[in-house]
Amino acid sequence: MKIIASYNIKGGVGKTSTAVNLAYIAAQNNMRTLVWDLDPQGASSYYFRIKPKVKGGSKKLIAGAHELDDLIKATDFENLDLLPADFSFRNLDLVLDARKNPTQRLKKLLAPLSKEYDVIILDCPPNISLLSEAIFAASDILLSPIIPTTLSLRTLEQLKKYLKDNQLKHLQLIPFFSMADKRKKMHQEIMQNLSKEHPEILKSVIPYASDIERMGWERKPLGAYSHKGRSIEAYQSLWQEIFQPSNN
Amino acid sequence: MTAIRHHFELAENLSVTKFLKKLGKHLDFEIASQQYSIKTFYDSFDWRLYNADMMCEFRQSKASRELALIDKNTGKQLAVEPLQGDMPRFSGQFPQGLFKQGIASALEMRALLPLSQLPYQHYRINILNKDRKTVLRLQIEEHKLLTTHISLHELKGYAKAAEKVSTLLQNKLNIKATKPSRILHKSLKRQGRKTQDYSSKLAIQLSPDMPADQACKLIYCQLLTAIQVNEASTIADIDSEFLHDFRVAIRRTRAGLSQIKNTLPARDLAKHTRFFAWLGQITGTTRDLDVYLLSYQDYQAALPKSLQADLAPLYAFLKQKQVLAQQALVAKLEQPEYRKQLKAWEHFLQQDCPKKATASHAKLSIKTLADQRIWKVYTRLLHEANAIQASSPAEALHDLRKTCKKLRYLMEFFQSLYPAQEFKAGLKALKGFQAVLGDFQDYEIQEISLKQFSEEMRASDTHTNTFLAMGVLVQHLDALRCAARNDFAAQFKNFKEPHKRKIFQHLFAPKAVEKNA
Repeated sequence: MKIIASYNIKGGVGKTSTAVNLAYIAAQNNMRTLVWDLDPQGASSYYFRIKPKVKGGSKKLIAGAHELDDLIKATDFENLDLLPADFSFRNLDLVLDARKNPTQRLKKLLAPLSKEYDVIILDCPPNISLLSEAIFAASDILLSPIIPTTLSLRTLEQLKKYLKDNQLKHLQLIPFFSMADKRKKMHQEIMQNLSKEHPEILKSVIPYASDIERMGWERKPLGAYSHKGRSIEAYQSLWQEIFQPSNN
Repeated sequence: MTAIRHHFELAENLSVTKFLKKLGKHLDFEIASQQYSIKTFYDSFDWRLYNADMMCEFRQSKASRELALIDKNTGKQLAVEPLQGDMPRFSGQFPQGLFKQGIASALEMRALLPLSQLPYQHYRINILNKDRKTVLRLQIEEHKLLTTHISLHELKGYAKAAEKVSTLLQNKLNIKATKPSRILHKSLKRQGRKTQDYSSKLAIQLSPDMPADQACKLIYCQLLTAIQVNEASTIADIDSEFLHDFRVAIRRTRAGLSQIKNTLPARDLAKHTRFFAWLGQITGTTRDLDVYLLSYQDYQAALPKSLQADLAPLYAFLKQKQVLAQQALVAKLEQPEYRKQLKAWEHFLQQDCPKKATASHAKLSIKTLADQRIWKVYTRLLHEANAIQASSPAEALHDLRKTCKKLRYLMEFFQSLYPAQEFKAGLKALKGFQAVLGDFQDYEIQEISLKQFSEEMRASDTHTNTFLAMGVLVQHLDALRCAARNDFAAQFKNFKEPHKRKIFQHLFAPKAVEKNA
């Protein structure tokens, strides 16, 4: 089982659409997939038309009062399930802080799901917090969407430094460009320069596109309503780079 | 409260359109897809998946080709996976995944064979909540030749929706609940077949007062059927177990002919006895090679990792030999003489038994004869086993194994004449004892054969490391053979424990029990 966190310190960079669309593609490729919506805003849950409500809220969830498996909901798509968000997740940091060994808590909660799923995608809230540390400890891959702006470059460097300082060697940081507007000269220049300086950035680029924005209207992953086009191809290519790196 | 059911059948006068119209009055749904599909049920010849509570379906439509493994009792889909290319025959040939995992241990070395094929209109219906989220899936199979089948597929986290719809179908729409395996049963019935219509286990129903000659013919008839039903696939080499079952039926027939004497005219039996001895002999080489090929993975696993790959030329060599042996076997089974002899045996069995028989035991009741024969072979077995010492030659154990087999076959022929539970306990004790003798002989034969194979392989350009690996394997088999030999005394002690002897005595020599009491 691979655990992938869709994460960035910054908000509004396309974390949720990355989590939802990659999960959809993984499921279509016959991988048993779970999305855990850890963001109290519940955008992933909204896209899957699932009520952002968890029995007992964050306290009981973190305490392990219910098996995670009992809280999971099937989405409308084969092989794809969701652990919904809850508004109480805004307090996850506090709830974790009250426990012993808080950074290992998510890892422990996820362990029993290893036989049920081939891949778990965590849709993470922005910020670096205690919850982020717990996410880093539980994940194998930190998939980080970055908008080609100078500010994004700063956050990528902050993140790299953080991982290095905290010796999170098990965690593979995979950055990629998201919401890239090819009409903007600045976006193109930054992408060119950053790719040279950071060869770990994936080749796949997710465009800033209206069909991706339509996800909110359709309340579905992109692939469920759009079968052709630049955006869906970009997510397919991203999935291949992550899951079948030897093909690239 | 109405019990939740997941499978339903529509009354013949209720079309899918009418049903959906009725359903729409109570809940919101969408037709996710509607397509012409073909479903093929698969299982092994001896129903291994069905016996393990599973059903295998291969579904084909314009849009997809998928394999499904279904729990026979609950209808739960244990695995649904797309299939590229042709349907594989053996579990090892399927792509990695839940389907392969699900079938592997039940199917073992047997081939998956098509049972029946059904064309149908396949509707996938999503039951929606107020957010138009799917909370339950309905699959409707509209068959031309069978009644329409509806199945409810519960979604994780939405158990209440399934309960609600199940209650609605049963109580308000008056739809009849059914079993998940109903379509399989009905489609087989149309072919004049039924599930579990073949088993390699003997199940001969005899009545205690039946004259022995009549009972013997009944036994031989069932064995002849086993020979006949396995014959074509033995020739086609569908999987190794057709030949195995073919041979077992031959061996059982031979055991009957040698162990239940004086029931049928000896003069008539002589030529048939020679025929079955010949059949046993011509099928032996292919079966032995099948066994080596089936054991190959165990052979590899017994070697240190560094030598495992070096054993591969042995597999190729065995496979080549098996192909040649199979060709030779097929040539013999296609000879007119074989057909003629088998026909003659069938003809002999079909003739009514004469009222006045010449054979001395012909008109004995079968129960009396069964008691006598089983008890005699059992006491001989004890006598032979008691005589075996630590220094006894291997032949003594081999002879004892043959006696065990004779007793086993006799017991299996006549099992319907005895109380089931006690009989089962007696047979279990015998099987346990037989296992150690079987192991001892099998390991010895394998050791000898491997040495012989290595001699033959020397003629080819085989790498030295292969011989090294085979040498290590012989050593391993020798250790197992010694362990089996050392275990003999303990297993025999176990077999002759007073309470187990009492079972045999009570079953087969009840008068002796009364006398002793």
